[in-house]
Order: sequence, then C-alpha cells, then structure tokens
Amino acid sequence: MSRLLKIAAALLATTAASAQADVDFSGQVRPVWVDRQAATLGPLAEGARLAPELIALPASSGAIESELRGRWQMLNAAVAMRQERPESDAWHSDAAVNELYASGDALGWQFSAGRKIVAWDVGYGFRPNDVVQQETRRTLLTSTQQGRALVQAEHFDAHTAWSLVWVNPQRAADNEASTALGADEQALAARAYRHVGAADWHGFARWGQHTRSSLGAAVSWVANDSLEVHASARWAEGADVLAFDAAAQGLVGSSPYRVVTQSNRQQALLGATWTAEHKLSLMGELWYDGTAASNAEWDAWSARNRQLVQTWVPGGPDALRRGVAGNLGWQVQAFGGQSQRRSNLFVRATWDHEGWQPSLDMLYMPADRGRVVTAALGWQGDRVRVDAGARVNAGPGESVAARLPVKRTLFAAATWAF
Amino acid sequence: MTAIRHIVLLAILLTGITARAQGTADLLKAADRYRMSATNMQVDTQISTFNTDGSPDKERRYTVFAQANHQSLVLMQSPAEKGQKVLMLADDFWLLMPNSQRPLRITPMQKLLGDASTGDIATMSWAEDYSAQLVGDESCGDVPCIHLSLTAARKGVTYARIELWIGKARHEPLRADLYVQSDKLAKQARFVMDKPAAPTAVVEMVLQDQLSNHKETRVRYLARKERTVPEAWLNPMFLARNPSLD
Repeated sequence: MSRLLKIAAALLATTAASAQADVDFSGQVRPVWVDRQAATLGPLAEGARLAPELIALPASSGAIESELRGRWQMLNAAVAMRQERPESDAWHSDAAVNELYASGDALGWQFSAGRKIVAWDVGYGFRPNDVVQQETRRTLLTSTQQGRALVQAEHFDAHTAWSLVWVNPQRAADNEASTALGADEQALAARAYRHVGAADWHGFARWGQHTRSSLGAAVSWVANDSLEVHASARWAEGADVLAFDAAAQGLVGSSPYRVVTQSNRQQALLGATWTAEHKLSLMGELWYDGTAASNAEWDAWSARNRQLVQTWVPGGPDALRRGVAGNLGWQVQAFGGQSQRRSNLFVRATWDHEGWQPSLDMLYMPADRGRVVTAALGWQGDRVRVDAGARVNAGPGESVAARLPVKRTLFAAATWAF
Repeated sequence: MTAIRHIVLLAILLTGITARAQGTADLLKAADRYRMSATNMQVDTQISTFNTDGSPDKERRYTVFAQANHQSLVLMQSPAEKGQKVLMLADDFWLLMPNSQRPLRITPMQKLLGDASTGDIATMSWAEDYSAQLVGDESCGDVPCIHLSLTAARKGVTYARIELWIGKARHEPLRADLYVQSDKLAKQARFVMDKPAAPTAVVEMVLQDQLSNHKETRVRYLARKERTVPEAWLNPMFLARNPSLD
C-alpha cells in the first residue's frame, strides 16, 4: 500500500509540475466488473469439490484501473494502478511502473534505457517473434503490458529500421538467471525491418542466456484494397516451458511442474484480414506453437487427473482428501503457456458503425475440438468508452478448453480518457 | 499530300488535348493552393460531427504533417484517441495505437474506419492524386464556376472520383461530390473561405455524409505552417517508439 501511495504522490507531483514544465501527459480511469462462472469440469473443479477450504474457485470481481502516461524531455513513463475487490473479499491495491525510460539520439542512432515495452511481431492472436517480451493476447479489454528492463539502440531511414536490444542487463551477474522463465532471462535481440512496396518484411534474431539462439521472420502484405495477409515463423534452439516432472508419481508434496528448456522448437502463424466498404472486418489466423504441450502430454495430464480423483475414496482420511485436492490444484499449472494446444484456428469478425463496435471471435483447437468464444460490444464517445461482453470456454468434456478453471466470463467496463 | 494533312490535323488535335490537360492540371494546382500553400506543411485540424437534427455529436483534434510525394502523418490529439497515429506513404498505410509498440499495416479500406475518414483530414491536394477533365462552365449560386471531373490517378486515394466546382475568377474550391470505389456518392463537400470577396485560404470544409448516417462533419483548419519533417518520422518503426513529434 505504501508503494501505491508513493506512486500516487509521484503522479500528483507530475500533474502539478505539468502546469509549469513542458510535460506531455495523458491517461485513463476504468471501472471494470468481471463476473466469472467457474467450470464444473477439470482438475480445479474436482479439487474444490474435495476441499473447498483449500482450493478457491475463480471469483467475480470489481476493479478500478488507472493509467497515467507522461513525457518530460528525455524521460518517458507509464504508471498503472489497480484497486480490486473480489466477491466476498476486501479491496486490495496494486501498482506498477509499466514503463520508465530515457531516450535520446547520437550519431544517427536512437538510444533508450530503462523499463520499456517492445513488441515486434505482426500477428493478432499469437506473436512468436515478440522475443523481447510476450504480451498476453486476446484479452477481454485492452491493457498496457509491463515493459522489460533493457538498453536499446535503433537506426531508421526512409524504408529500413535496425533495432538492437540488451534485455534484462541487470541479470548479467545474476546466478538465478538460469531459472528465470522465458523472456525473463538476460538476452540480446535484434530486428531488421524493410518496407518494400505493399509489404513490410521483418527479420529477428535472439540469443538468450540459457535458451540460446533463435531466428525468426515475419511479413505483413497488403494484397489489395481490402485484404491484408500476414505470416510469422520462428525457430528456437531452446524454449522455456512449465512441464510436468515425469518422475512425480501418485500424490506428491510439492508442485510437480518444473521449468524445463525444450530444444529445437518451431512456431508459425498465417493470417489475413479482409475489410469491406461498410466497415465490416473479418480476420482469420492459423498457428502452430511447438512450445505448447503435445497431444501425448495432454493425454498424460488427463490420465493423472483421473488417477488423482480415483485416489480419494469417500470416508478416507482427511489428510488424503486435502492431498488429492492440492495435487488437483497443481494440475492447473498446465494451462500456463501461450497456447494450450499446438494447432490453433482463430476467427474474428468486427463491425464499426456510428461509434459502436460489435465483435465476435472464436479460438478453435482442432486436436480436441475445444473452443473459446468471445462476443463483445464497444461504444466510443468523446472521452468515454464503454465495453461489455462475454467469453465462454467450451468443447467436449475431455477438451482442454472445457476444463479451464473458468467456464463463462461476463465483463463490463467504462473508460474515461484524459 | 492527304497524309501530310492528316498528320498536321492529328498534331493540332494532340496539341489541343495536351493543352487542355495542362489547363485542367493548372486549375487543380490553383485550387490546391487554398488548402496547401506549400509542398510540405503542418496543419492543425478540428473535426466536429453533428447529428441530423443539428445537435453536436463529437469533436476531434488532429495534427497533420502533409509532405511531398503523397506522404502524410496524422497525429490524433483528442483525449479519446491521444497517441494514435496514421501514416500514409502513397498507397501504403499504417495505424499506430498508444498501447501497442508495433505499427499495424492496414488496407485502404481499413483507413476509412473510425469516426472521421483519415483521408478527409490528410488529403489536401488533388493535383498529385487525380487527373481532371473539364466538364464546363456552370453557375454555383451567384458565383460563376468551373466544373471539373476528377478520376483517381493512383489506387490509394480515399475517393475514386470527385466532381469538383471551383470559382471561375480565382479558382478557389467551392463544392465537391466525393464518390467511393463502388461509384456510390459518399459525401458532399462545401468549402468555406477566409475572405469570401478575396479568398486566400480554405478555413473549413463541411462534409455531408450521403452513404450511411447523413451526419454533417466540419473539418476546420486551425493553423497552417510550412514544415518539412525528418525522414525518420515517415518510418512506421520509428513512430512505434512513441517519439516526441513537436
């Protein structure tokens, strides 16, 4: 809380100073209500049925999210605050400095240092070549990500751009860096960009402290007045994933999920957006994520869920009941990756009419016919934007989507920009 | 002898056509000067939208860097859109959102999305983008005017065809009918000059939607100054850095 107060004081000071200094700032305040209906299938639901005092199901919540962005001379900052009250619980607050960096130029190069958001890839639902940091994709509401600590050098001319980034330089002498997951490790990343007529071409290279090398390429091409086509592919020598420890059998006393570095992983995406004269847009994306769990790994996960449930016999000892519930709770960690399934199809339709923006999208996972369907309606006024919608995770009982912790989410938000 | 006569006639005809084309091009350039007094400019613009009953709907502020060779950068300045940018390099377009550090490559059709067509704000010259045909002399209210029919000379323009009426004496733009690709009448424009008796600049363009909502949009030019922006400002990856563009 004291951290929150310090940041709030800093914001007030910034706002006051802006009256006198040449400060450019903007921001937004957003009350949000999210109603979550927990799934009745899956390991979390099973665990909560066994030990509701131990396993908490996802709760509905109300929150007030604030964001302030500012620029003063060479300094840029973006600060976010969130006050949330889960149902049947007390308010709690959190604050974060999403960006705080200095930038300048010398010898024809632009330099930045500090905490900064860097996003490079071209896709919507999946971005394998965001190799500096991975954004959470397909969020219900737009949100600013938290940047990475980095040092960046960039060069631009009319049609090309070169970017060199040293990510997490503070980890150079950090012995714990080898256990940092994915983009948290120290890394060097480079991006080359060239605009050639109707196409934007990108090349990427990254060298991570323990994930080693990776190479990628992406293109976004405007085929005609209405159609844009994009593609992205990446090969990685190593990729960090949270995987089940095969040595863990039966009931275990701590989470059996470990960060492991998988070797020789591929990721690829192909997508297109078509926009009609009457402002209807249709998007389709197909992607393969070689870092997601394989079909065999999901089969093993399902088998362990069944085995854990069968371990408990009604009337058994209380310690066993709590142990089984806890082990079922840890099974939820399998959902932590960017993609649940390796092969994914995403379709999205949006319409822009008189400030109203209805949208409907679906993520479909052919391996188990699971799907995540989202319908939303936005309205943009002069200073206020209102969003509301629903997301349903569905599919056959054995599909991953049907066993995610939340079955249905309703949301409503009003954003006031200043 | 007959062949020579034919060649001479053809030469006279071609010379006439070329002179006429040159004449209409000069008319367009003259009309353009009322909005773009220099090749490279910074223009601060205010867009006000009104409902069909005349009540105010929305107001937006934009800064436009209109540069040579069909290059424009539009900065959204209103709170609801602050930080958004649209970059137009001839037929290539990018949208930059404040919460994203990557430029979105957009199609000409996507450029039309949003409250105001970015093309209405950023396009300030017809001579570079359209070829014109003289339709004839007409009367625009009390003012004698020239009717020109403009056809897009490149694919990235917002309107495929424009029927334009300019003053006969000073060639200031008076009104225009704007047609989209499907040849539907999208908007009708009326130009408000600074000094009606001796106009030097367009201060406002009033657009009447004819395609969907029939709302009125007033594009008011608040300030204009000659300005050439650095080359890097027209690189979408540079803009993704969210640089200061003052």
